[in-house]
Amino acid sequence: MENLLEIQDIHTYIGQFHILQGVTVEVPRGSIVALLGRNGAGKTTTLKSVLGLRPPSQGKIIFDGAEIQGRRTFHIAGLGIGFVPENRAIFRALSVGENLQIAERTKGDLNRKSEMIFSLFPDLKRLIQLPGTHLSGGQQQMLAVARALVADNRLLLIDEPSEGLAPVIIEQMMEAIHKLSAETTVLLVEQNFLVASQLAERYVIIEEGRSVRSGKMADLVNDAATIQRYLGAA
Amino acid sequence: MDNLAVTLRKNRTRILTLIVLLLLFIAAVRGLSTKDWIITTLRGFSVGAVTFLVAAGFSIILGLMDVLNLAHGTLFMIGAYVGWSVYVRPDTFVDLLTPLLLIAAGFLLQPLWDRILQRARLPHRVAQTWPWVGLGLGAAVLVLVMSRAPLAMWDWQSYTDSPIVWTQNFEAGNVGAMAQAARFEGLSPVIGLAGLVLAGAVISASLAGVNRRRGGPAMSGDALHIPWGSVAIAAALAAGGLLVFLANDGLTAWLLRIDTTWLFLIAIVAATLSGAGLGALMESTLIRPLYDRGIYQIMMTFGLSFVGIEIVRAIWGRQGFTMPRPSLFAGAGEGCPATDLAGWLAHKCSTIQLTIGGETTRIRTYNEVFLILVGLAVLIGVWLLIQRTRLGMVIRAGVQDSEMVQALGINVRQVFTLVFALGVAIAALGGVLAGPSSGLSNAMGEHLLLGALVALAVGGLTSYPGAAVGSVLVGLLQQFIIKYGQVGIKIPFLEQPFKPTPPLVPASTVLLMIIILVIMPHGLLGKKE
Amino acid sequence: MATASAIPIQRNTLLSQVRGNLGPLLVFVALVALPFVIGALDGHTVSEVLVNGSGYSMFIQGLMVEVFILAVYAISYDLVLGITGLLSFGHAMFFAVGAYLTGVLLKTFKMPFVPAGWHLSVTYAGLALVVLSSLLGALARWLPPWRATVDRLSTPLVVIGLAAVIWGLFRSTVGMVIIAGVIQALLFGIVLPRVKGITFALVTLGIASVFAIMLGTRELAGYTGADVGLQGIPRPDFLNPATQRLRFYFLGLAFAVAVYLIYKRFVNSPTGRVCVAIRENENRALMLGYNTFLFKLAALTLASVTAALAGCMHAVFKPLVSPEIAGMGHTVDALLIILIGGMGTLSGAMIGAALYRLLDYYLFRWFGASAGFMLGAIYVSFVLFVPYGIVGTWRLRNLQWKQGWRKRLQALRGGGG
Repeated sequence: MENLLEIQDIHTYIGQFHILQGVTVEVPRGSIVALLGRNGAGKTTTLKSVLGLRPPSQGKIIFDGAEIQGRRTFHIAGLGIGFVPENRAIFRALSVGENLQIAERTKGDLNRKSEMIFSLFPDLKRLIQLPGTHLSGGQQQMLAVARALVADNRLLLIDEPSEGLAPVIIEQMMEAIHKLSAETTVLLVEQNFLVASQLAERYVIIEEGRSVRSGKMADLVNDAATIQRYLGAA
Repeated sequence: MDNLAVTLRKNRTRILTLIVLLLLFIAAVRGLSTKDWIITTLRGFSVGAVTFLVAAGFSIILGLMDVLNLAHGTLFMIGAYVGWSVYVRPDTFVDLLTPLLLIAAGFLLQPLWDRILQRARLPHRVAQTWPWVGLGLGAAVLVLVMSRAPLAMWDWQSYTDSPIVWTQNFEAGNVGAMAQAARFEGLSPVIGLAGLVLAGAVISASLAGVNRRRGGPAMSGDALHIPWGSVAIAAALAAGGLLVFLANDGLTAWLLRIDTTWLFLIAIVAATLSGAGLGALMESTLIRPLYDRGIYQIMMTFGLSFVGIEIVRAIWGRQGFTMPRPSLFAGAGEGCPATDLAGWLAHKCSTIQLTIGGETTRIRTYNEVFLILVGLAVLIGVWLLIQRTRLGMVIRAGVQDSEMVQALGINVRQVFTLVFALGVAIAALGGVLAGPSSGLSNAMGEHLLLGALVALAVGGLTSYPGAAVGSVLVGLLQQFIIKYGQVGIKIPFLEQPFKPTPPLVPASTVLLMIIILVIMPHGLLGKKE
Repeated sequence: MATASAIPIQRNTLLSQVRGNLGPLLVFVALVALPFVIGALDGHTVSEVLVNGSGYSMFIQGLMVEVFILAVYAISYDLVLGITGLLSFGHAMFFAVGAYLTGVLLKTFKMPFVPAGWHLSVTYAGLALVVLSSLLGALARWLPPWRATVDRLSTPLVVIGLAAVIWGLFRSTVGMVIIAGVIQALLFGIVLPRVKGITFALVTLGIASVFAIMLGTRELAGYTGADVGLQGIPRPDFLNPATQRLRFYFLGLAFAVAVYLIYKRFVNSPTGRVCVAIRENENRALMLGYNTFLFKLAALTLASVTAALAGCMHAVFKPLVSPEIAGMGHTVDALLIILIGGMGTLSGAMIGAALYRLLDYYLFRWFGASAGFMLGAIYVSFVLFVPYGIVGTWRLRNLQWKQGWRKRLQALRGGGG
């Protein structure tokens, strides 16, 4: 199996704090991989390290065969990596339409993709004129995911898509991500193990800045001891 | 209706404050005769317009980059001095144009250096040191060539050659006769010109190297893409520089021949462009390394403002001087004062006579018409830029979360440089426009920055409409106090009318700022972050 | 200082105190000896220097007095910016208020420099009352039967004493300067709780600029001398810099040393620690239950009074008080000094002031009009390349060096055991 993204033993500092102390993740092409672990284990930092927002000081990150660590963020993203940050960080000063438009990497991206995006998130179509401040939490999360779909991204980094959402919305969101994975590869950070276990095919557990376990999700679901040990009662 | 009530309740303090300000304005107006208050209001708007030109750039830069650019006033001042030089001494301007274009050509090759450096695998020690050596060498070449470059200059140290006398010469139309032909002193022109390009290229490559030092590992994967676009622009600039050098005398003569209105327009463009260039240079070399060191940024800009003043003092001297108004606003002969706008344009009058309520009064076309119009044009233009263009979209998004903008694949660093250049360009525009109305002095930047800061604090630090509202408020307050300083305020139980003295003008605006900040710490239109 | 507190047990003997502060002590001794050493180099004996007979020594003393004044001014800014983290751009006003008030009171109002005659006696009496009653309060702890009475008495007594001191001070220039220092800090204090960070900087800048503009206006020229500056201030005879230069030198030295010691004490006191905590994270300090406003106000008041006193000294020492000392440029001077020395280090402000004054002097000698530009270039390169300043960088180096040795020693011990 060929990997689209390989994170090889990266170390990342934020200020003086040694946040990542050796994280290794392999993301096979066309799969969904979930990063699991407790709060503050370093999952979000791993995503940000891939994007160059928190550049690693050691280790390699290989995307589609090329080393990308140390390159600048906009350059890395331009290679075809979409990012859905936690806390639904949409641009509040922009309208829904502009939030999508700003993600265009070449002119006309949005026109080409709008059909696909609105079929995934039909709500967004009628909200297109609304300012970002007027959206509900679920709509904001949908917009954040949709924004990552505008450009031709081969890899999506999705951070906590289910956090703080109503169960119905979570269902919708899961369905959307599932549909997406037919075309793109997804690296997912998810606290909610139920969500992660249904979406992802593989998992990597991060504990105190180190990747400690990885494998097929199907195996993990039956391994109550590991779940208990690393993820608490799930 | 429910919505309205909620909005009203939420903004109670804001609305009350606005009502109080309005009542104050009405009270101030009622104390004056009709013609007086109209004139005073117009003057207020005029001062507000210039203040706004400084405040606008300042607030956009603060909003997007969190950089408190305390050098903004100094850059405003530099804009004025550059404008004066182009306007009064076109010969100097033409002489300078060649080296500037050639150096800029060298600088524009920066993307090329970046690409090359990304591929270079230098030993660590060499990579760490060569940029500094390069910077030193480049600067040395630059100094060497420029010390022999043909530059018609003034000399503030001798009165007969000082900017003051040159301004008089300009008004008398003598500059043309005194302009001198340009020759390199003891240096072959070819070597001189080549040296300039070389200096620019070496300095820009070294700067790229300095930035590179902090960057990641070398990229050897992809092929070397030569950025043909920037190479072509650089070549065009170099060719332009050569052309200007060859046509130096003719160009100077032409600039001295044309109408001063056109010359003023050229001065405006030159000052604005030099502001943009200065801004881009400042951001990319001095501010960029400090983005994650908040307080040092402020210290840097604060220090730079004083460096700028010293530079201005070294070139133009400490003495203040004036800048003659262009012909469109200077006429006083037949048909003047004009009675309407058409009459002004036909006769190029310096004033327009208005009849209001049986009284006649004169308004100055430059101060009270032109400046306000330019202020409005910039207000609308920048607003359109922010609201309607992709760059504006990126700016609005970047104000909130510049990391996420980068994660979308947008080169935020470039946007930062662009916005910084834009902000400084607007300030420089303000400077050159303020020249003919208030004259040039070393202190003009500091004074205006104070006004702009007050305006911003009143309007809301990073709010663009707030900058406009605050600037107008500051302008109006200043002008009304000055007016009342002439006529006096009748206060009950006082025999003599109270006449506010000039020191009360800045004091009143600062007082306004403090009162508004104590009531609303985020200003009139600012948002809570 | 930071390293000293890391040592677990510290015996507070005189010897250890001397050893811990060897550097500052040596500097102090050198500064005491300086006028005589310079005089000797110039070929004058100690007694000649004592009666101000050595011209070159007097010149150096004058330069050093300016350094002391600058140092006190800069250290007060360090307390505001470097220790408490308040970004104030109005610090020059603190200094200028002291200088101008001194000048105007001495010149126009003919007020004595220090309390004189029976005002002096009242001041001393009040001071004695305050000291005695606080002593009594402390002693009462060991005299249980008297405790209640003393407790009841001591507060009113202290208040009466303080009132007497203030009353006495009101009749002297120095006293007025101190009071003005407190008042202007309170003025900043009005806006302090409402505006933070950048807005506070703007407000302070605004207030100070208005003050500077007022100083330069013609309407007040009778008092301030407008843009020419305040001239012809009558100096008190015992402190005339022309005839009593050496005395002035030692007074300046004593002033600087006293301020340095008081500041060091303040920074190491619980109040000072809270100030540092506010600099690091004001919200955390708030959450810990501190009323951060009061602490900020305390630091601001101390700084304001010190700066005003430095200004007072400036006015007595200089033949002319120029309005430039109220301008933004003078705040930049303070900023530059603590930047050169190292922000938040206190001793950095002292070293920075000396370097700055010498730099200023020699740059103007060598470069003339473009000296200001050179100074600016030095400033910019410090911001870019030496952000911790001289003292800060030295401490950092020292710390790393010490840690390196400790590690090596530990490795040795580990290997031996």
